[in-house]
Amino acid sequence: MSELKLELKEKIIEQLNLEDLSVEEISDSEPLFGEGLGLDSIDALELIVMLDKDYGIKLADPKEGRKILESIDTMAAYISANGS
Amino acid sequence: MSRGVAITGIGVISAIGNNAKENHASLISGKIGISKISQIETIHKDEIMVGEIPTLNHELEKQLGLSEDEYSRTPMIGIVAVQEAISSAGITDINDCKCGLISGTTVGGMDKSEQYFYDYFQNEEHWNHITGLNAGDSTNKIAAYIGLEESFVTTISTACSSAANAIMLGARMIKSGQLDRVIVGGTDCMSKFTLNGFKTLMIQSDTYNTPFDENRKGLNLGEAAAYLVLESDKIVSRDNKEVLAYVKGYGNANDAYHQTASSEHGDGAVLAMEKALKVAALPSEAIDYVNAHGTATPNNDLSEGRALLRIFGDKVPEFSSTKAYTGHTLAAAGGVEAVYSVMALQNNIIYPNLNFKTPMKEFDLLPETEVKEKELKTVLSNSFGFGGNCSTLIFSKEA
Repeated sequence: MSELKLELKEKIIEQLNLEDLSVEEISDSEPLFGEGLGLDSIDALELIVMLDKDYGIKLADPKEGRKILESIDTMAAYISANGS
Repeated sequence: MSRGVAITGIGVISAIGNNAKENHASLISGKIGISKISQIETIHKDEIMVGEIPTLNHELEKQLGLSEDEYSRTPMIGIVAVQEAISSAGITDINDCKCGLISGTTVGGMDKSEQYFYDYFQNEEHWNHITGLNAGDSTNKIAAYIGLEESFVTTISTACSSAANAIMLGARMIKSGQLDRVIVGGTDCMSKFTLNGFKTLMIQSDTYNTPFDENRKGLNLGEAAAYLVLESDKIVSRDNKEVLAYVKGYGNANDAYHQTASSEHGDGAVLAMEKALKVAALPSEAIDYVNAHGTATPNNDLSEGRALLRIFGDKVPEFSSTKAYTGHTLAAAGGVEAVYSVMALQNNIIYPNLNFKTPMKEFDLLPETEVKEKELKTVLSNSFGFGGNCSTLIFSKEA
């Protein structure tokens, strides 16, 4: 699980071009959207594409995505339960 | 200053007709153009519905006397609509006065680029399409085809408000005396690039789009080309032209909120409508019908509905979105809906907002769901594009 979380942090930094950020600066439980990391809804769409391409998770409903993408913890939990 | 600019010609090709007459006939008979996609191979074909123009590329090539694969679909449908507009304006010599062409597009030649991009590195066979990567290429091809000599030929690419902005710019060029005649509108054909992009944004519906409905699921993409011919009063009297309607008001403002979503209370839309009413020197009560942007996305219809309430208070006039017929034709939408607004004025008919069943819970707005005969003097048309680019046009029977 902690390996997956590290992997997610690396992918988020790369996918979203967060050049000034290192994996140490992203905590497992901090909110990714709004406060915390401050990602926006376009970033959310990029992460949805990433979940599909890298973990085989297809999200049809953007609102569903919001809950799953809340933090590294929630993403990792969902992927472990539903990923391929 | 508030005198309108004369519209002397209209032309349109869309999923519901190859010319203005066919489009009008479809609009009044409830004949929609939305279907499963047939002309483009895509992995999303079971998850979307679209408004395709039935005419295939090889048929367009034949119709226009072009060789196989010579032009992208965007300028081809553009030429069809421009030719109709010119003919409907009774123009025999396009260059008999200072004439311009202002065309909007988002796709440009992307329908060909996406097919041939990797081939370009292997051989020169399809290099004729490389220039199509520039949005202006389609406009230049249309201008060349109609024999427009160097005057003012330009392209506007502001996403879904492009054609409306083209019409606005054209009207201002006429008003300021820089042009005597200008063909204004937009053209966008279907492309994988567009389909895939909208898929990623998750705003397409897998069924018939339902503008302003509580259970709306998103938009259907469409393809179309539509243009108006605007002419100065000088030319209208010189040639004794019949004026179809006037561009009475126009306004453009930026929502300054988000790349692809509209602000919750339609700030940009409100500003655009206010500006248009100001240019027209009309109070909001003067508007008899609103042709809404109404894409049927959860976001737009809520934002636009709120904006309508802010502008019209408790006196929102009859309104409808015609996108249930044509789909969202992107850069062409402002042109298609301008043509429909002119036809509405000419026929004193309000076109219906199809597929509507359940009012939105956020407010008490009910679109017109059936063809309605009403004496119309002034029509307002909205087109809101990505990047918060909001445009409003006002058309009227009187100058």
